[in-house]
Amino acid sequence: MITLKKKKLPDAEIPTSSMADISFLLLLFFLVSTVIDVDTGIGLTLPEYTPAEQQELVPISKDRLAAVLINENGDVLLNNEIIAIPQISKTLKPRIESKVDQPANKKLVVSVKTDRKTDYNLYIQALDQIKDAYFQVRSEYALNRLGKRFVDIDERSEEMKEIREKIPITISIAEPEAIKK
Amino acid sequence: MKFEKKRASTKQNIPTASLPDIVFMLLLFFMVTTTLREVDVLVSFRLPEAKAIEKIENKRLVSYIWVGQDGRIQVNDSLTQLNEIQKIMYAKRVALPNVIVSLRIDKSSQMGVVTDIQQELRKASCLRINYSTLLKI
Repeated sequence: MITLKKKKLPDAEIPTSSMADISFLLLLFFLVSTVIDVDTGIGLTLPEYTPAEQQELVPISKDRLAAVLINENGDVLLNNEIIAIPQISKTLKPRIESKVDQPANKKLVVSVKTDRKTDYNLYIQALDQIKDAYFQVRSEYALNRLGKRFVDIDERSEEMKEIREKIPITISIAEPEAIKK
Repeated sequence: MKFEKKRASTKQNIPTASLPDIVFMLLLFFMVTTTLREVDVLVSFRLPEAKAIEKIENKRLVSYIWVGQDGRIQVNDSLTQLNEIQKIMYAKRVALPNVIVSLRIDKSSQMGVVTDIQQELRKASCLRINYSTLLKI
């Protein structure tokens, strides 16, 4: 008896085993060339430039002003008291807190002034302390009045707006004497 | 009587057909998130450290100014003089109205150069700045 065997067809397949290798190679390239460093830093808005002759002096009451002066040795003068840089945050915090419920034109203005020879690092440390004081007040406000953690509040929400309104960060960078002339 | 080894009837190879798909997905993710570094930094600098820092959300808005240990200033791709900053930054500001200038300044610099740059930026009305710092742990 003859058995009829079907002729086996050769497999018509594209070899895809090397596909993974190729894509891994590409993946590796992008992995290596990717820079996922997020820019972090201390944000600030500079005042608009006005020529010296057009500048007007706006009187600010002593009560509102916190003048931070950093000299070239790293000594800090905050409202005529000599303190060290790590103390700035502690000294400023009660003053910011006392102004929370005051209208916008009564809020605290922190004025930072340096010498031309002051170390940049010291300046950043001082600025960091000031920002830190503000952030502490903000997060306490969020926790006590809104019942939320500051980090949980959405950037665009009404609550954030309220916080920004109540505790605005006003840091004024005074020009060193040499530029003023 | 025949003796036969007991064997599982299932295939024993791992299906690798979907492997390329997975890898391509990863690849796509990295391709989308990658921002290839456009400029060579010509000055050497070490950033200061701070605690109360913020992230810059939008990287496309950022433009950098570097100041090295030796006080040289770099904007874009080349070293520049202080008095050229205004012109360059003004052009940037016109092209991108809400540009954020990230100042990457060496921590041993003096404030003199920083204020000079700030004055130039004010003249060019690039008012949003950011002192680039690392996170202090």
